[in-house]
Amino acid sequence: MKTRFDAAVIGAGVMGCATALFLARGGMRVALLDRGEICREASGVNAGTLTMQMTRAALIPYALRAHEMWMNMPAWCAGGDVLAKTCPGLSVAFTDAEAVMLEERARIRREAGAPIELIDGRAAQAIEPGLADGVKLAGHCPIDGFASAYLTGRAFRVALQEAGVTLMESTPVRGIDGRFVLDTSAGAVAAQRVVLAGGVWLQDMAAWLGLSLPIKVLINQLVVTERMPPVMRTVLGVASGLLSLKQYANGTVLIGGGWQGIGDRARGGVAVRSENFLGNVRLAAHTVPALRHARVVRSWLGLEAETADALPAIGPIPGIDNAWIIGSVHSGYTSGPYMGRILAQAILGEAPELPLFPIDRLLHQRSNSA
Amino acid sequence: MIFDVAVLGGGPAGMAAATEAAHGGARVVLLEESPAPGGQVYRAPPAGFEMKPDRDRQEGDALRAALAASGADIRTGCRVWGLGGGPLMPEGEAAAPFSLSALGADGVPFTIEARALILCCGTHERIIPFPGWTLPGVIGLAAATILLKAQGILPGQRVVVAGAGPLLYAVAAKILAGGGSVVAVIDAATPAEWLRALPALSARPDLLAQGAVWRAGLLAARVPVLAGAQVTAAEGDKVLSAVRVGERVFQADALCIGHGLVPATEASRTYRAQHAHRPEDGGWVPVLDAAQRTSVAFLYAAGDGAGVRGAAAAPAAGRLAARTALHDLGFRLHHASKEDAALARARRTGAAMARMMALRPAMVAAIPAETIICRCEGVPRSEIEKAAAAGANTINQLKHFTRCGMGPCQGRMCGEAAGALLATARGVDVAEVGFATGRIPLRPVPMASILGDFDYADIPVPAPAPI
Amino acid sequence: MSLRIANVARPAPVTITVEGVPVMAHPGESLAAVLIAAGHWRFGEGEDSTRPRTAFCMMGVCQQCLLRVDGRLVQACLTPIVAGQAVTPA
Repeated sequence: MKTRFDAAVIGAGVMGCATALFLARGGMRVALLDRGEICREASGVNAGTLTMQMTRAALIPYALRAHEMWMNMPAWCAGGDVLAKTCPGLSVAFTDAEAVMLEERARIRREAGAPIELIDGRAAQAIEPGLADGVKLAGHCPIDGFASAYLTGRAFRVALQEAGVTLMESTPVRGIDGRFVLDTSAGAVAAQRVVLAGGVWLQDMAAWLGLSLPIKVLINQLVVTERMPPVMRTVLGVASGLLSLKQYANGTVLIGGGWQGIGDRARGGVAVRSENFLGNVRLAAHTVPALRHARVVRSWLGLEAETADALPAIGPIPGIDNAWIIGSVHSGYTSGPYMGRILAQAILGEAPELPLFPIDRLLHQRSNSA
Repeated sequence: MIFDVAVLGGGPAGMAAATEAAHGGARVVLLEESPAPGGQVYRAPPAGFEMKPDRDRQEGDALRAALAASGADIRTGCRVWGLGGGPLMPEGEAAAPFSLSALGADGVPFTIEARALILCCGTHERIIPFPGWTLPGVIGLAAATILLKAQGILPGQRVVVAGAGPLLYAVAAKILAGGGSVVAVIDAATPAEWLRALPALSARPDLLAQGAVWRAGLLAARVPVLAGAQVTAAEGDKVLSAVRVGERVFQADALCIGHGLVPATEASRTYRAQHAHRPEDGGWVPVLDAAQRTSVAFLYAAGDGAGVRGAAAAPAAGRLAARTALHDLGFRLHHASKEDAALARARRTGAAMARMMALRPAMVAAIPAETIICRCEGVPRSEIEKAAAAGANTINQLKHFTRCGMGPCQGRMCGEAAGALLATARGVDVAEVGFATGRIPLRPVPMASILGDFDYADIPVPAPAPI
Repeated sequence: MSLRIANVARPAPVTITVEGVPVMAHPGESLAAVLIAAGHWRFGEGEDSTRPRTAFCMMGVCQQCLLRVDGRLVQACLTPIVAGQAVTPA
């Protein structure tokens, strides 16, 4: 065994990358391992929506800070960029029931700090001329935005290297022994601390340490159109949160919202479910009628992790010194870099700017400790 | 109703597979994108067109007639965009019938289900990028074949024909026969390569004779044939006006160029069948057993889409796939499966041609840095190499780094060259950079045609996430 | 010289318009073939000047030949001619 790292971060998604980066900048020798490639799972294939209107209320303060990080990414990420841009966000209601839901959700999010105002359909169309008629009520957040999520790995890589992080891609970890020696496909990797950052695979990783941490797997479908003339200029969603729409500078329109495809932890994203594909694009075309003129080029799947209470798992692992966990953040891409920053603060012995999300509440029972 | 067998693609393999399965008593549906079955080589001219039938036309007509009489449900002019069922099921659920979503020739969407699926998706053409290849006036050799044989139209007044493989001479001969002028034939293969192919070709004297006739025609027309040469640039202002081959420049208004055929594996990739990279078969191909089974139960592949062997070898492979499917479905077959000698000869000849048409690494190496590789997204070679240096290891990662392959052709035109460049830049075998994950739609699909009429209230919006 | 090969019997010609200009075509021909026969190789300007729209694969794969027919986005190589079609760039 060559080196003993100060920290080994397992999982090179946005949260693993951010944690590793800030640990290294805090002076630690860090190894960042992934069974595949950097940010090639949820962090690289999500819809790139940076919106307060799909973020859980409890996470709004985090998302607001993360939003700022995304917008200034080159400044703190050694020039790495995901082309994030701020634009108005709209969450619309087409029915009375949706209007009621929207009103309640906007109020709760506003109380949590998101600058969401309620406007009528006409005002919404003034902000988004591409929006369909028939909107009864809309939530308007002037500081939403979006990024090109597929650039995330490339954006982090340079900064990680500059910070001296040892990035080990295509290096599956098979287990961890009690002294934090990682059994990997590239041999043993020893570390003083471990950080589990494995997205939907956190359940398996937690089991290495003898923990039973149930993680639900969401198989989110996404659809993208061919380049087309400008049809919209906001980030658009519906009150239920089951739609996200945005048009990139290159003219492609990304359609998401969390419609479920087929897949699981073991096989990954297996297939797009065609009835959900149809439902998703119908909802999109209903909301922005000009999308009827688009051609759909591609669909794909991203696996999102969810804990029992749909709140994050971020903090120390109870009962095991120097073991940490980060993940299962709803709308995790939006909040991801900030979550990594505050976890790094905690690991470095500083007080995190905002509270972590300790996992004691989520653990079923401890089996025999590793 | 659920079909016993669905056949995707109505070329020679697909026509024969559907016919054989229908003869075996199965309920069969054949889905084909073109207005009539035939595929690229045996493509039928449009209704109302009469042209002098050649050998390909006769072979095609025979297969078409047998198919029409077989009782199979033939759906032409339809665009299959969605694939589901089969192994694409939630965890713990048994495999289901295959389900194929398509737009009909009338524009009406439909979905069919089948217990077994035979993929006969053929190939698309390999065109290794070179400076000026995106100029109007440059088309594929297969494209030229379609123009000449199915449309009766010459690609230009003065045509350069370039690339590798037998299509080169077939296209040149067709242009001459059609009254056009071939300015030059630029053959990437050396005379030594053709000599090496001879023993295999001699298994098919008909083809040898055909080749000799083509060559003689070129000679008679005093067409310069440059062997072991390649086009270095297509030049012109708004459209092609000249073709450069090193120091030589040929004035031309059309360049027909092709460097071989690439199996179309989108469907087998979407069904997550196991694939292998075999340059001599055309690149990535589904792994098959001796009876045309893929690694996915009840999913079969036949014809050039399963490894390039040519149209002559395809029908027998299609028939074998159909017999295997029927056997696996529990049908009692009345006649034994036999691989006849003609098929063996056709395969041997096809393999020799496929070797000549395989990707030529030197040609990829010669692509200049600023030449566009991904035409849809405008990605030049230099960007691919930059991405490799920046840590892109696989084709899927390269897409994220550069958008190479993310455009409407879905990586079909650039995938191979991009893979070869990435592998070279990384110093690994091309198999190691992998292939793009298969996902629907199989082809870009107009939103308007799949949306149909719907009420907002009928959209099955799932329950919202917790606040 | 016409690019249409002699000795091929074709259905009686019809007229379509390409950016307002009448072009002769035979029903059953593909739009891409008709444009090539008319010497009209450049179908549109595309994303940038190095990648104009044109016919390339002729079999529905490359997506370079996108055009509008009566306002509808189509692949020219897969679009059969019908009398009166109004063709404009994509």
